[in-house]
Amino acid sequence: MKYLNTFLLLLLSSASIAQTYTISGTMKDSTNGEDLFGGVVVVKELSNVGAVANAYGFYSLSLEAGSYTLLYRASGFENKEVVIDLKANLTLNVELSIPKDVLEIEAVEVTGVKENDNITSSGMNVTTFNPKDIETIPVIFGEKDIMKTLQLTPGVKSAGEGNSGFFVRGGGADQNLVLLDEAVVYNASHLLGFFSVFNSDAVKDVALYKSGIPAEYGGRASSVMDVKMKDGNNKNFGVSGGIGLISSRLAVEGPIVKDKGSFILSGRRSYLDVFLKLSKQEDIRNTKLYFYDLNAKANYKLSEKDRIFVSGYFGRDNFGFSDQFGFDWGNATGTIRYNRIISDKLFSNTSVVFSNFDYRFTIGTGDDAFGVNSSIQDWNVKQDFSLFANKNNTVKFGFNGMHHTFKPGALTGGNDSFNELILDSRYGIEVGAYIQNEQKIGPRFNLMYGLRYSGFNLVGGKSYTFDDDGNRLTETTHERWESVKYHQGIEPRLSLSYVLSENNSIKLGYNRNLQYLHQLSNSTTNSPTDVWVPSSNNIKPQIGDQLALGYYQNLKKNAYRISTEVYYKTLQNQIDYRNGANLLLNNEVEGELVYGKGRAYGIELLLEKKKGKFTGWISYTLSRSLRTFDQINDGKEFSARQDRIHDVSVVLMYSITKNLAFATTFIYYTGSAVTFPSGKYEIGGEVIPLYTERNGYRMPDYHRMDAGLTWYLKDKKRFEHNINFSVYNLYSRQNAYTISFEENSETGETEAIQTALFKIVPSITYNFNIK
Amino acid sequence: MKYLALIFGIVLFASCQKVIDVDLNEANPMTVIEANYTAEDSTVRVYITQTSNFFSNEASPTVDNAVVTITDQAGNSQQVPFDAAGWYVLTNYVPSYETTYTMTVLHDGVTYTASCEMKTAIAQQPVIYDFVEPGIFGDGGYIVAVSYQDPPEAGDYTSAVLSKNGNQLKKLSDVTLNDDLFTNGNQVTRPLFVRFFDLGDTVEIELRTIDQKIYDYYTELASLTDPNSAAPANPTYQWTNRALGYFSAYSSSRQSVIIQ
Repeated sequence: MKYLNTFLLLLLSSASIAQTYTISGTMKDSTNGEDLFGGVVVVKELSNVGAVANAYGFYSLSLEAGSYTLLYRASGFENKEVVIDLKANLTLNVELSIPKDVLEIEAVEVTGVKENDNITSSGMNVTTFNPKDIETIPVIFGEKDIMKTLQLTPGVKSAGEGNSGFFVRGGGADQNLVLLDEAVVYNASHLLGFFSVFNSDAVKDVALYKSGIPAEYGGRASSVMDVKMKDGNNKNFGVSGGIGLISSRLAVEGPIVKDKGSFILSGRRSYLDVFLKLSKQEDIRNTKLYFYDLNAKANYKLSEKDRIFVSGYFGRDNFGFSDQFGFDWGNATGTIRYNRIISDKLFSNTSVVFSNFDYRFTIGTGDDAFGVNSSIQDWNVKQDFSLFANKNNTVKFGFNGMHHTFKPGALTGGNDSFNELILDSRYGIEVGAYIQNEQKIGPRFNLMYGLRYSGFNLVGGKSYTFDDDGNRLTETTHERWESVKYHQGIEPRLSLSYVLSENNSIKLGYNRNLQYLHQLSNSTTNSPTDVWVPSSNNIKPQIGDQLALGYYQNLKKNAYRISTEVYYKTLQNQIDYRNGANLLLNNEVEGELVYGKGRAYGIELLLEKKKGKFTGWISYTLSRSLRTFDQINDGKEFSARQDRIHDVSVVLMYSITKNLAFATTFIYYTGSAVTFPSGKYEIGGEVIPLYTERNGYRMPDYHRMDAGLTWYLKDKKRFEHNINFSVYNLYSRQNAYTISFEENSETGETEAIQTALFKIVPSITYNFNIK
Repeated sequence: MKYLALIFGIVLFASCQKVIDVDLNEANPMTVIEANYTAEDSTVRVYITQTSNFFSNEASPTVDNAVVTITDQAGNSQQVPFDAAGWYVLTNYVPSYETTYTMTVLHDGVTYTASCEMKTAIAQQPVIYDFVEPGIFGDGGYIVAVSYQDPPEAGDYTSAVLSKNGNQLKKLSDVTLNDDLFTNGNQVTRPLFVRFFDLGDTVEIELRTIDQKIYDYYTELASLTDPNSAAPANPTYQWTNRALGYFSAYSSSRQSVIIQ
């Protein structure tokens, strides 16, 4: 209550009593009718007055009666000015168009309006991309991938060679909330991480929140990656796609009823297995290794005030070895949304969201075959409101309830030598409610402050208690809806910016995030078999607290951006494992866990060039990520695996001619922390490595350069196409993927063997777009 | 999972291996005590060595000047005399089942202590074997299975050690550990998927009844040989003052079979 009073007070203190009218409407892309999330409208005559469109392109701005020039803008679009004489409430639906070529972006500059939203917005550290932005950036296998491009930005680290898994500011890979149209994606990688599940043809944009996380998001301790699917072109039919060495894509989109509704359907499949068939070795010929995914979305405007969206994702990986071994896994998500413009100031969205991840192993054939399967499934009902209260305050509030079903695994089938083993299902209900205000105070202060309440109720299933050594003490069976344990907490969120001048600002962000679901993984690589477990009587929710401070400066008419951010993050109730822990098919997996804490801190420097023929960025991160567990490393603090101290990324994009674009990236980072032996001894005549500390060693430093050339072939009016050549690991650096210690059979000496996954990998992709 | 990634890399993009120099620290030498008290022949065998540098080619240095003592549950102590080259052996030490033995080792002014319960042996039934077709598990061959009636009370831990034609297979990977979590009180037949045998082989199974501590110790030891482990660590110390190794008091039953 204390918080709520303060909140209301802040809100009311700035409410104006003069006669005001409201301008509201939607902002859209003129070429395809897509909503412009994050589009901005500002009033030229007033300082620091404007509104930001919400996720559905809806904006609302309340002003006192008078004449104004409204300036609409969005990143990558031409500005649009509208002169109004405000005497009554007004609906203004605006469409912005994409400039014809780069030069015109600069022409837009002549209008005298600074593109300095990065300076003036309150939200800090939001990294946004749309697939168009990153089209020319080379990636492995030539498949453009938003997740891999995000790893080139400061504070975001790759989970490994070619891997789409990532770490944000020292947090774990499972501490990132990855959303696709509001549905949680539990395993965002294909082919063990070489591809992400996000097909760039289907993605409208992605936003990554590293700190000052808005209160509408909850559930993970470190970051939020919010991916939005395209709505589909509501003006014209179009077909686009690409043919690559490893996979191909095809997308179809178009209006259902022009300007009222649209759909998009896109699919992708890899065909590695086709090449495997060419192998001389029978084993390889009989190996299956592919993935596919499908994205579908449709939206329809029921009236000027009502709109529905239906979107879904289905993807699957398949790995098999003749008919003796099969392993497949994948995500399925579905989202139904209903938008309603309740008044010109109040916007409502109701969502019903489904998400499922499962994997399956099958071994053997016929009567002897047996299999293991495991899944996690969510149903989520969510209600969000945006209230554009007045010209200085935009309030967002809402609530949600989510039901989780965890099926940790079942071993089924097989002959008599295997007993069926079905692990107990567990169920959880996760609830959240939030309220947040974005407030402008005077011309220089922008604030975003909010509170989130979250709770998690583990219901049904079995619960266990354990002694200090992880031995089971008690086992209790619960009724389906009986509460085992309820965890809850308040999560304050805050961002504030102070504009020093139109070219520089400082920002501060604080957020607390609670995480009720935990991923258990005792291997060094992300794996579909990593288990998700709920908070329980044994496992407490993870708590992440982060304080971040940034300084932002734009130079040369916003052509260059410089930012410096420092952060300090603490993590409570972190999870690690006892020696020799068995995480697979273990009902009492909680007995294998130990709990500790972590902290991470760092400084991130970014120099970005946004305009001209030559664009790109250089980022440098100096950071640490440390953990402390009583039972590990004698209770002494140790480096987390992702504790890479120095991290450099360089991304350069150059338009050689109108039809030819070149891009290159360079990456350098300190090798991951790793545990190596510091001695050896023998047990039963066998050599056993002796360890003296956790993660006390480093893998060799990682560095790599990639390059790509995109050739835009001659455009026809309704047909665009291009060919992309890219080279991954240009100078064929053998970066260590693993280091193992083996005895040389000839000399008898123990040697360190480094395995690198890739040398140089060239690829070629053809992309087309029929409009 | 790493293997899958490697298969992916190897098959398609010729992943590559090379020998590199890794500069490893030299940990201070630690004492390693492997102590076994075998009920079957009423003998205590202790082997004491020291850790060595990881890349060292020499055999582990042995400890010959330690004082080793075993104490029974009633408090009666007996010295385990030095035999040769790191070995200390005490014979004709008759076991008392379901009682706890404590061993102390005094070396260089430090006393290391560990205790272990001597369990009663579980009788084995005749060994059975079956032919397995070649497949993803290997080239195929005969697999043996250990059979026994698990005692009614929970908490029986066993290890099955194989001998082939009179030679004990000592490697950790040839030993099968078993608990009775899912099989308590049952008639158990457990195939030992560690090794294929050929026609004519004489295979002996020694079923050891071990203390839970030793079961846990071997489980942890086995996980160290798993190259996928993200964070390997020494097994939980069985000895006070951080000596490595273990003290196991165990009893055994044996059965053998000729594969034909």
